[in-house]
Amino acid sequence: MSVADLPSSAAMRRATADPDRRQASAGWLMSAPALALMLTILIAPVLLALMLSFTDYSLGNPSFNWVGWDNYERIFTRSTYTKMLSATFTYVITVVPLSVGLGLGAALLIQSLTRGAAIYKAVYFLPVMATLLAMTIVWQLMLHPSIGVINRGLEGLCAMPFTRGLLSLSFLGLSPEATWFGRVCTEGAPLWLGDRDYAIWVVCFIGIWQGFGFNMVLYLAGLTGVSRELYAAAEMDGARSYWERFRLVTWPALGPTTVFVVTITCIRAFQAFDTVEALFSPGGGPGKSVYVMMFAIYEKGVTQNLMGIGAAITVLFLIFVMILTLIQHWITERKVHYT
Amino acid sequence: MATVTLRGIRKNFKETEVLRGIDLAIADGEFVSLVGPSGCGKSTLLRIIAGLESASGGSIEIGGAPVDRLRAADRNLSMVFQSYALYPHLTVAENIAVPLRMRQLNTAQRLPLIGRAVPGARERGREIDARVLEAAKTLEIDQLLDRKPGQLSGGQRQRVALGRALVRAPAAFLLDEPLSNLDAKLRVHTRTEIAELHRRLAATFIYVTHDQVEAMTMSSRIAVMMSGEILQCDAPTRIYEDPNDLRVAEFIGSPRINVLPAESDSSGRISVLGKGLPLALHEGRQTLQLALRPEALSLTHHTPLLQGRVVHAENLGHEVFVQISLDGAEQRVVLRTDPAMQAQLHLGAKVGLTFDPNRALIFDAKGQRQRNLLRALQEIPA
Repeated sequence: MSVADLPSSAAMRRATADPDRRQASAGWLMSAPALALMLTILIAPVLLALMLSFTDYSLGNPSFNWVGWDNYERIFTRSTYTKMLSATFTYVITVVPLSVGLGLGAALLIQSLTRGAAIYKAVYFLPVMATLLAMTIVWQLMLHPSIGVINRGLEGLCAMPFTRGLLSLSFLGLSPEATWFGRVCTEGAPLWLGDRDYAIWVVCFIGIWQGFGFNMVLYLAGLTGVSRELYAAAEMDGARSYWERFRLVTWPALGPTTVFVVTITCIRAFQAFDTVEALFSPGGGPGKSVYVMMFAIYEKGVTQNLMGIGAAITVLFLIFVMILTLIQHWITERKVHYT
Repeated sequence: MATVTLRGIRKNFKETEVLRGIDLAIADGEFVSLVGPSGCGKSTLLRIIAGLESASGGSIEIGGAPVDRLRAADRNLSMVFQSYALYPHLTVAENIAVPLRMRQLNTAQRLPLIGRAVPGARERGREIDARVLEAAKTLEIDQLLDRKPGQLSGGQRQRVALGRALVRAPAAFLLDEPLSNLDAKLRVHTRTEIAELHRRLAATFIYVTHDQVEAMTMSSRIAVMMSGEILQCDAPTRIYEDPNDLRVAEFIGSPRINVLPAESDSSGRISVLGKGLPLALHEGRQTLQLALRPEALSLTHHTPLLQGRVVHAENLGHEVFVQISLDGAEQRVVLRTDPAMQAQLHLGAKVGLTFDPNRALIFDAKGQRQRNLLRALQEIPA
């Protein structure tokens, strides 16, 4: 054995004198591969996007220029991006409460069933299992202005005097222009996808239709955790109506589930893309009324190869999601009670 | 406060008969325990009284009025659950206030935030707060009013559950094994407290437990239930000393009562393990069972009725339970004795046992108590 193989006396003294430090460095060494992976595949792309958002880079270009806050300024000043933010928030604000509410409602109804619950679960979950892109094409067909089932159906209802009178409320003495159905009969059925008043709501509807089954499943799982004895206690305490028991027992017990469901639904709503891509590509719908964020990122960053602005929207998107996550954290800490 | 009367209560879960015709009359202010092994139907019976479960047959009256058609919320009963069933999102004060808020405030007044602005809500709210504080003081939990159930110990939660039950004056209190989740020491303490609470409130209590000690120590009467029937309903001392059924004798008392095979000859005279006793039945020859409490047995050196060897001894400090394997019989008997005697009772020691024939309980082969005994020798016909 050579002298070089022996640890120097100083190193040995250091090692024996400070075992904590030695253990700490061993710890860092062992977690280094995991840390390296985390940095390269999770954090680096986000930092890269952040960096690109301050440039005018295009894929294939040998170089780029730093443009500072220009990309962000454009987002908040140009009307296209104002429309993008408006479409995104309209979508999120409509889809989140309705798909969470419907999911909860469906879960409560299914749970109250003694028979046939499995069938309802399967049926409501069908849209979640089917790919959204494929289902969107079906919807496109159904919503077709002249050959679609929906407008054919509306025309059929207008043709029958009884349903026309009933649905346009003309039996109450209202003029045909006073109700939506009356206008459909006189002016013709709407161009669902071509009308800027309808397009975003159609997309919202498809989003809710597709998403609430997922929320229902999460709520069904949450409902199994509600103690039966609490309902008995509520009944003994004089909670006579279903609503009282819901407020006293079910809703608080579903708190953790609700926080999770709302956060997931919000993030999914911000990520809405398939429907818009299938129905309104290119352009983002009539008057850019359905120009949601994900679609904008795709259009700018991929289709038009404007990486800089695409990255800026991405960063903005990440900020919204981060804010949502922080709100979730805050609510969980303060308002939700885990038993 | 009110009487509770049960007539022929039956309950079937599909094919299984859980309750087979329960008749029970509970007087105003009485503390009745329903005690029995698990699965005997005692909790089901309590839930039927509460209205949380419907009976398959029979009728219930509370305070003389039939309640069969009333739902649980309208029966004016309070219940303490085994799991306490506290609302986890409400503070202790809010938990205790729930029964009052539900009954004394209307729907508008109960609304969150705006409810307080509804006319009358403020005064009612103040009344409720006062009642909650009073109940909390009774149970010495007034320091905990702002905490959530998650921050309380098992014993404290149990008190909150009691507080929620006694904050209003119901017709009767129903308690479903309220002590079973507490540790042994706290259980003994809370037992006393519940008994004192009952004395102070002079209210009707129906208490379900599988623990015979709880039933013995707190109740005015014990209803011993087994396989869906009440075998006997009597004062604790009667249940212990004078059981009607061997199953009652075996269930009540710790350690278990000693049961020895006995028989009566054609003249009715009873003998146990071949030794004649100064006891006789009017009926002729039959197989019997003779039951003896551990304290009815005593050690003797002269003319022992039973003989055996010590196989195990448990010293509890103030008393010793000695297990003795009898000569000429398969089973063991348990003897309760003074710790001073333990020196003689080393393992394997040969001992002689005797008992006062008057303290022996005689049951027939089916376990029914035989009461028409002729006690003194001279009464026995030759």
